Amino acid sequence: MPQKIIYIPRINDSPADFAELFQIWDEVNDDFENVKFDFSQCNFLRPNAVAFLGGLARLIESRMGTAVFDWDTLKNAAVMTNLSQNGFAGHFEHTSSRKTGNSIPYREDNVRDVNGIMDYLEIYWLGRGWVQVNQPLRDAIVGHVWEIYNNAFEHSGSGIGVFSCGQHFPRYNELLLSVVDFGQGIPAKVRNFLSSDPRAKQLTAAGCLRWAFQSGTTTKSKEEPGGLGLDLLKEFVQVNQGKLEVYSNEGYALIDKDGEGFTNITTSFEGTVFHITLRCDENLYRFADETNGNVPF
Amino acid sequence: MEIIIKDVIGPRCIIKEDGQKIYEKIHGPLTKAETVTLDFDGVTQFASPFFNFAIGQLLKDIEEKDLRCLLRVENLNETGKLVVERVIENAARYHSDIDYRKIVDDILEQQAKESE
Repeated sequence: MPQKIIYIPRINDSPADFAELFQIWDEVNDDFENVKFDFSQCNFLRPNAVAFLGGLARLIESRMGTAVFDWDTLKNAAVMTNLSQNGFAGHFEHTSSRKTGNSIPYREDNVRDVNGIMDYLEIYWLGRGWVQVNQPLRDAIVGHVWEIYNNAFEHSGSGIGVFSCGQHFPRYNELLLSVVDFGQGIPAKVRNFLSSDPRAKQLTAAGCLRWAFQSGTTTKSKEEPGGLGLDLLKEFVQVNQGKLEVYSNEGYALIDKDGEGFTNITTSFEGTVFHITLRCDENLYRFADETNGNVPF
Repeated sequence: MEIIIKDVIGPRCIIKEDGQKIYEKIHGPLTKAETVTLDFDGVTQFASPFFNFAIGQLLKDIEEKDLRCLLRVENLNETGKLVVERVIENAARYHSDIDYRKIVDDILEQQAKESE
């Protein structure tokens, strides 16, 4: 079987960078493909790329192909340090020992490991002393971010699970987390759910994402109330002046303090990426409901 | 009836399976108009799937005003209060039949405006 070589470029986390990742997905999205990833052109790799490429390698393997990261081609010391520190290299047969630095580990969850994921968020993502928030707020943040994982495991239908990676950027005072699945994607799921309404075919991917982010909409069965997870997450990010970006099929959602926007993109992939950016400043955090003091019962 | 949630579920109330466990314990007594107290002392983390199943489902059989009289919740932290309140609002709307056609109409209208 021939081996395809994919040259990993420099990948940041702008929409153009995500388009590069989806282009790579498109290039290897054939059954029974053997792929070698070459790092010789790569001098920068953000955690969204790490999570995506790790998941893509597992996707290829799940289709009986092989995926090899050619570590001999990785000459950039900063990228090598980063991939060693976050454990990605160790996951893919590099013998580096993992240190810590500002990285947040690369993580693979084939199945929903609730306590493993919550500990990851609490201990490795928030808990390294770079986000100065009190314990109740820390609990609130991980609860809201859990909604991303819950959404992926409940709705995506990803046969290979969920892939995460994060990083702390002291210079920008930002904390990132990317969560990737290779399921059917939110627009595909929404169109399928609404298939009894012929007009739903006219919904663009952006329209489907807008539908999914509305409070109370869910693609679950009529017996199960739901549809709040994304809404609560959206509200949390806006209150705390963070940023949430979602790429799914050919749709893109951007939620930040200025509002929410849903657009169609030209380079798409089958699956969903949640990319969340938090600011590491306690002054920017507060409980969404701390001003109204409602008691439900 | 009183349930110490931490003893049954632990400190994380975030998944639907745990919500279902609580629902199965309290659904019967509440439909018989018995008072139920849920004590969340020691529970620190909350997410919507838990409350959708523990409490949201109750609104299929019990009116919201009756539920608010019969169900007592103690020691719930700020996030828990936020999530449960939103779940109740949402479930009440959900069980009264959310108008999906209207939502599709609104989004198609928005799409049309954006393409002009």
